[in-house]
This record gives sequence, structure tokens and C-alpha cells, in this order.
Amino acid sequence: MSKELIRLKDVTMSFDGETVLDNLNIYFNDKEFLTLLGPSGCGKTTTLRIIGGFQTPTSGDVFFDGVRINDVPPHLRKVNTVFQKYALFPHLNVYDNVAFGLRIPKEADGGADKPGKRQTVKLSKSEIDARVREMLEIVSLKGFEHRSVTSLSGGQQQRVAIARALVNRPKVLLLDEPLGALDMRLRKDMQQELKRIQQQMEITFIYVTHDQEEALAMSDTVVVMNEGKIQQIGTPEDIYNEPKNAFVADFIGESNIVDGIMREDRVVEIFNRRFACLDAGFEKDEPVDVVIRPEDVDIVGEAEGQLRGVVTSVTFKGVHYDTIVDFYGFKWLIQTTDYCPVDSHIGIRIDPDGIHVMKKSKYSGMFGDYSSYSEEYDEINREEPEVSGDEE
Amino acid sequence: MKKNGVGGRSLIGLCLLFLYLPIFLLIFFSFNAGDSSAVWKGFSLHWYAELFRNRLVIEGLATTLLVSLLATAISTVAGTFAAIGIYNLTKKWRDPILVVNDLPMMNADIVTGVSLCLFFVAFFHGWGSIAAWLNSWQSLIRFPTRLTLGLGTLLIAHVSFNIPYVILNVSPRLRQMDRNLVEAAQDLGCTWFQAFYKVILPEIKPGIVSGALIAFTMSVDDFVISYFTAGSSTQTLSMVIYGMTKKRVTPVVNAVSTLMFLAVLVVLVINNIRSARQAQLAAKRASFEPVPESPRVQRIKEWAATPKGRLTRRIVAGVLCAAFVTVTVFLTAFTTSRPVVNVCSWGEYIDEDLIDEFEEQTGIRVNYQTAESNEALYSLLSNGGADYDVVVPSDYMISQLIEEGMLEELDYSQIPNFEKISDRFKNLPYDPENKYTVPYTWGTVGIIYNESLVDEEIHSWSALYDDKYAGQVLLINNSRDAFGIALKYLGYSMNTTDEGEIRQAYELVRDAYERGIFQGKVMDEVFQTMEGGNASFATYYAGDYLSMLENNEDLRFVVPDEGSNWFVDAMCVLKDAPNYENALKWINFIASTDSNLRNMDYIWYASPNEEALELYPQWYEEQYGEELDPEIYSIMAAPQEVLDRCEMYVCLPKATRALYNELWIRLGI
Repeated sequence: MSKELIRLKDVTMSFDGETVLDNLNIYFNDKEFLTLLGPSGCGKTTTLRIIGGFQTPTSGDVFFDGVRINDVPPHLRKVNTVFQKYALFPHLNVYDNVAFGLRIPKEADGGADKPGKRQTVKLSKSEIDARVREMLEIVSLKGFEHRSVTSLSGGQQQRVAIARALVNRPKVLLLDEPLGALDMRLRKDMQQELKRIQQQMEITFIYVTHDQEEALAMSDTVVVMNEGKIQQIGTPEDIYNEPKNAFVADFIGESNIVDGIMREDRVVEIFNRRFACLDAGFEKDEPVDVVIRPEDVDIVGEAEGQLRGVVTSVTFKGVHYDTIVDFYGFKWLIQTTDYCPVDSHIGIRIDPDGIHVMKKSKYSGMFGDYSSYSEEYDEINREEPEVSGDEE
Repeated sequence: MKKNGVGGRSLIGLCLLFLYLPIFLLIFFSFNAGDSSAVWKGFSLHWYAELFRNRLVIEGLATTLLVSLLATAISTVAGTFAAIGIYNLTKKWRDPILVVNDLPMMNADIVTGVSLCLFFVAFFHGWGSIAAWLNSWQSLIRFPTRLTLGLGTLLIAHVSFNIPYVILNVSPRLRQMDRNLVEAAQDLGCTWFQAFYKVILPEIKPGIVSGALIAFTMSVDDFVISYFTAGSSTQTLSMVIYGMTKKRVTPVVNAVSTLMFLAVLVVLVINNIRSARQAQLAAKRASFEPVPESPRVQRIKEWAATPKGRLTRRIVAGVLCAAFVTVTVFLTAFTTSRPVVNVCSWGEYIDEDLIDEFEEQTGIRVNYQTAESNEALYSLLSNGGADYDVVVPSDYMISQLIEEGMLEELDYSQIPNFEKISDRFKNLPYDPENKYTVPYTWGTVGIIYNESLVDEEIHSWSALYDDKYAGQVLLINNSRDAFGIALKYLGYSMNTTDEGEIRQAYELVRDAYERGIFQGKVMDEVFQTMEGGNASFATYYAGDYLSMLENNEDLRFVVPDEGSNWFVDAMCVLKDAPNYENALKWINFIASTDSNLRNMDYIWYASPNEEALELYPQWYEEQYGEELDPEIYSIMAAPQEVLDRCEMYVCLPKATRALYNELWIRLGI
């Protein structure tokens, strides 16, 4: 797509002997919208803070434009951050908040490399004014200049925070769960808004979230993280359609994950039945995890089915029904527009492109079973934002 | 329920009444035209005028302001940074440290004061040897080997007890602050210090201001810690007031206390209004609700953001800083310059104009302090915390001090006025060769009684033990006088070391006590009680009787037929006094006839100066245009035949002193 801007090489981070980042290797391209996605405690915020300069990795290197910046303090880095709870300066009005960074005399280019004699550049008043007003227009806050930031709504504060960071024309904008404190509607609007701003400004956004929907909707690239390790890097489509392991499959969207055995290329055996699939390159008779997305299952008559099961629960979801079906004691979630009453016996068919085969991993057997459906259901519907600070 | 409410409310009312009635009374009596705190003689601002003429008060005020301002400034800066440091610690360390921070505030002032005093004295001790070694080793800088308690130690003490209050006020503001603010500022290009200045400071400013205000009021208020750390050369306002109350609460004390109360009240009200506003704002902010700003605040903020407003703000800040520096420099100059002499005497025991006059004549600054009793003075001296030059102990204490080698011999060639001291008061038993002392005053102890409450003329100590006057007698609150009088009444010597005789005296006092003769035991409270007509009898000094007489004409004084105690208070110079020469100048000045006349007139104690004794009646007539009542004069300066039946205390042997102590404690009134 474009050139590489930031690279983390073998980065490990531990706090009090607890490893938060485990040998991370990742690069970020210029002008890309990249999302670090994962549950709380996965290390995504720590990664962001390392890029921002607020934390120094225990080992490993951080490169910016090919230069190692491990020891460059935050105020000398060409990145800006939008903090989780905005961190606006309450004693300043909207205008002064946005102008804050511009009023600090900056190092002349190259100053970071040559400590000692430093040349500073100070912007003129009129230039500051022009840039602040331009930025406020971009975030649709024209006319709010003299409002106190404490008198703004959450969404407006969010915009001020973005404007305050972007007005410095950083090469990279770091966003730490910026929409976490907003309600559902506002969040959807802001997602659009952020994407628009990123495209308009043509800079890199590194976005941290635990909300997979948000990640899929906005990103060019998604990095799924868990337990301080990268699970998978890819486009949203790759991540959804070709999850690398049970963790990713479960974290992104809904999945039924069952044990299977790869009998030969493009043939996988589940519940002692052979299914045609598109995957190849496994050893013969290798045990594997098989992912079947709920929407990829067709319900047919009991006799025609590749598998037969009993409906144990049905929930109407508007477009479709969430139907839980018991196959030989293993429960699947099936999303279908056909209504099947509880206790009815049904058969199912799965097309080869509806089956995704994964290598066994340490997450095998931990996800993808809907036996305790209601709990799992609650879990996937939860909306509460990630608790801040627990990754530290 | 309703009834309960009324009960509760009246209880609160009663509590408030108890809290504030004494203060209102004090304010009320500060406007009293008379000089008693018990008798109202009409409205007057006289005492306020007097207050501002009183050099001790003005000096005390200057010291208090200087120390409070400096201590507030230092502790506010130190406390703020300490709070930030604590805030940045992990929780594991933060909580214990905050507890440690709270401890000094809960700690009794007396413990803090004494421990600081001990610390300073120990440090000075160690410093003495280090400085001597440094001086012997090089000659570039002369380090002072002798450090003493003073303004410096006072300031250190105040800073140390103020810092916890600043931390206590700043910490909550920090906790309320969004943790990311500093990072946000750094992210936008600030160094840590810029972030501190541009973001943290405005955020925690309310906490800093209220911390500073509290530190300031604590500093102004403090007595106990100052008392132990100020040494002999420095006195805060509250120490001055305490010194003044030792004799009696003159309305000057009321006036100064009223002013202090009002000053602290104003600071506290300002602080409370501030914190109430801040709390409101914080609550709104925390709820994420938009806080509408009042148009007035918005206008001010907008104005402050204009170039003109910014300039004005800077000018105001500059002027305030300059004013602060000027005030501190001025106060420092006022409180620390010039050669000094440190004097410790008794409360209300000098015509203070004499101090001014001496300072004008010689350019030597007089640090005039007061002690409560001979015993208190002794313990102060033996602790080593004080470095007085001149002290004015009584006869028996002088002999003890000489015995323990705590006094310096005087160079009488520099005290020409010593010649004028009557021979009657030279070479007395406490200083047989007169090498150490120049007498200051002398007098007798006798019975003071209220004529309107007693229908007979009193001639004997027996009145003090008479059932007739049960509940009407004030026992003097020190073992030496109380048992001494009893011994005299029994016909023994006041200086007896015979255990049997002393035990008899004890039995006499105990018996009277059990029969309910004594209303209580008093020292300086005697003024209030006798002037207010609340007791019939007291045992006290002739000079003080004459002061009381001015406020209650019914009071009479008699030296009983059995005899009594007569005493001499004399000026001495302490061993190794830092200002020996100045001390001699002071003693000579006080021993002059003029000083003695004025002192005699002011404190009503007899002078040992032969000339002054003779001249006084004439001098009095010239001053007041009326004749001095010879009877009063004979009470003031008792004729020789009265002295002949009196005894002077001598220093008792240790065993006897212990017996006195034991019996006094057993008496346990």
C-alpha cells in the first residue's frame, strides 16, 4: 500500500515480573487505519503507550521512519494521542485546548537526534489562529471556540480531543478507545466521522479498541491481540473469514468451533461425517479446529441433512432467528430466516466455502460451544467499555 | 419526633454557646475602659491604642507574620511537590506514606515541640564540634561554633508542621485530576516541567491555595511548638500573649486576641467559601454533565484571555510577589538586626518604655521574655534550650544557680549604678560576697483580704485556717510559700529542715483543706478572683496587692504579726552568656535611679536603689499632682521593723526539697 512508518521489533514489556507484551513484532504503514483489537489485558493499550513514548519497553526496539526512538521522550515524538477519557484541560476553553500544542515552542526538525544545542520554532499568532480555526471546522466545532470544555457533551469533548491532537499535524494519531464513553448512536456517528477525518488528513491512525464491530467497520488493517501476543494481522475480511485460531474465530463475530480430523486435502471429518471444504496443506489425519459461521449453515429436512439435530432454543432477532441446535450433545448457533420450533428435528447442510479449517492451538476447545448458550449470549452482547488502566 | 428535634436543636445551641460565649466575652471586654477583666467600666478603644504602642506585641506580630509567611511559602512549594511525588507512587507505597503524613497532624503539639527542641539542641551540640574541627582545619571560612534556637529553628519547625497540611489539601485535588492530563500535555509537546506548570498547577491550584491558607493559619495560631523552638531571642505573638497572661489578663490581651480571632476567622471563611465552590464544580464535572458557566465568570475569563487582561494579571502577580519579598525583607530586618541582649524576667515586671529607651540609647535590641516561676526558669535553663543573657530569679533560686555554677561573675566596674543600691540589699545570704547579682526589686508576702467581706482587722495567719472563713481562702499554689506560711504560723523558721516541723505544717494545711477552708489554689488567677470580690483571703506579694487595689478599693494588705517571707529578685548573667557586655549595660541601665523610679511606679514593687526609695514620694507628687499615701508606700517598701520579723528563703537541701514535693503531692488539692 505505502511505506512503512513505525516498527516494533522484538518488543517485550513486563510490569512487576508480569509479562504484558511478549516479543511483539509489528509494523505500521503510512496513511493506514490500523486497529489493535483484543480483550482487556491483551496489551493493546501498552503497545499504544510504547509508541506514544509513555512507556519504555523492557526489551526490544521501536523505530520511527527507520530511526530508533526508544529513548525519545513523548514531547519530541511526531505522534499525538487521543486519550480514553479525552484528557481535555478543564481550565482552558475549547480554543485554548486546541491551540495548546501549537503554543509550545517545538524542536526544529532533526532536533531529537542532536541533544545539546536545540533550536526551537515558535508559530506566529496568526498561524496558530488559522490552524485552530481550520481544525475546529474539520471536527464541526465552529462557533464553540470560547466555550468551556466542561460545558460540552461527550461527543463534543471527543471532537475537541481529536482536534487538539490533529492540529499539530502528527504523522500518526494514536487513539485509545476514544469512543468507549459514548452511547451507541453517537459511537456509530463518530466511527464514520473518524474514518472521514483520517482520509481527509491523510495520516496514520492507530486505533485501540475491544469492540470487534468497530474494528471491522473502520480499519484497513486489524491486529488481533491476546495475552500480549499478536494472534492475527489482516484486513477485516481476512480476519473474519480466515481466522487463524479458535481465539480469533471466537473474538471476531460468532463461530461454532468443533473438533475435526483432516482426512485428506479438502476433506474434513466432523462427528464422523466427511465434509467437503476448501482447505488444504494439512497432514493426513491431522486433528484440526473447524469453524463454521452461524450464517453459513442451511437448514434442510431431517432426511436430507449432512448432520441431524434437535432445536433447543429460538430467539427472534429481526432479520433472522438465533437458533440453537443440539448435535450429538454439542450445541451450535445457527442464524437462519427459517423458523424451526423448539424440539423439532432438523437436518443441516454446509457448503464447502462455509467451512474453515484451523490448526490446533492452545485455544482449542476453549471457544465456540453454545452449550451454555445464555451465558455466552450475554457475553457477546455486553456493551460496557473496557475498564481503563487494568493493562498497566 | 418533634420534641426530639427541639431537644437536639437546643443541645446544639448549648454547645455553640459554650464554644462562643468565652470568645464573645473576650471581645466584649476588649472594649472595656477599665483595666480589669471582671468589672465593666464603659466603652473604650483605649486598649487597642495601647496594643499598638506595646513594643512586645508589635515585635511578636512582626515575628509571627515573618515566620508564617515564610513557612507558608516554603511549605506550600515543598508540600505540593511532595504531594505530586506521593501521587506518582504505586498504591503499595502511597497509602502508607499518606498515613505517615497524617501522623504529625494528629500528634500532640507538645510532643512535636519537645522533640523538635531536643533535635535542634542535639544537632547544635554536634555542630559545635564539627564547626570547631572545620575551623581548626582551614581558615577561609569561620564557621560559628555556637548555634542557638531562634528565628531559624522556629521557621524550620513551622515549615515541618505545615507541610503535612499542604499535602493533605493538594493530594485530593491530584486524585481528582485525570491521570492522563500530564501525558496529554507531554504528548502535545510539553516537557514534564512545562506540563506541571501549564496543566497540573492550574488543576490543583485550589488545593494549593487552601493548603497555603491552612498552613498560614496554623502558623499564626501555633503556640506550643513555637514555645519550644523559638529559643530566648525570638517571640511570636501567641508567646507574647501568653507572657502577658501570666500575671493577669489585661485588656490588651483581649484586644490582641480579638484581632487574631478576627484575622483567622476571615481566612477560614474565605477558605470555606472557596472549597464549597470547588466541590460544587467538581461534582458537576464528575457527572459528565455540561456545566453552564455564569456570565460573570465567563466575562472574567474572556477578559483574562485578552492581551490587556493578561498584562494586568501579570502586573498584579508581580506586585504581589514584590510585596511579599518587601514584607519579608522588612520583617527580617526588623526582627533580626542589631546587637542584642536576651532578658528573661517575670510577666508585667517592667515599665516597657524603659526597653525602648535602652534601645534608643545604646542601639542594642532587647529580647524581653518572661518565665512563669523560678522553677520553670530553672528547668528552662538546665535543659539548655534557652540562651538568655540576663535572668531575674528570686533569692533562693539564685543560691541554687550559683551552687550549680550556672551564673557568671559580674564585672562591677561596668555597673557604676551598683553603688546606688542600698547596703541593706547587698551581700545577702544568697550571694554573700555579692559577686553575681544586682538586686532588681524586693518585697514582702502578706495576707490580702477584702474588707467588705471580713468584719475584723486581720493580724495573724490564723485567718487562713479559720472555720469562719470556710470556702473564702485562696491557697497560694506553690509548696514553698504554702508550707512556709504554715511554719511561720506555728512559730518555726520558714527555712527549717526539721522533718517533724515540716510535717506539722503539712498537717495544718491538710486539716484546713479537709475542713473546706480553701476555695482553691491559685497563682496569677488571684488577681481576677480578689478584684472581682470572689474570695475574702489570699496570700500574695505586696506589689501585686497594690495593682489589685487600683481595681478594688476594699482590698487590704497586712504582713501578719507572726512574720512572713521577704524576698529579693536580682539580675544575674548566665554562664557563657553570648552577649555579656550588652548584659552588663542592661543591668546598669536598670539599676539607675531613674529606671528604678519608673519601674517602681509601674509595677508597685519596691526598688533596692537607695536614692529611688527616698525620692519616690516626691517623684510621685510631681507626676500625679497628689501626695502619695504613706500607708501605701509603707506596704510597697516595708519599713525595717516589718522586715525584721520576716525571713528570706534560703535554698533548702535536696532531702528537704524532696519532702516538700512529696507532701505537696500528697496534699493533692
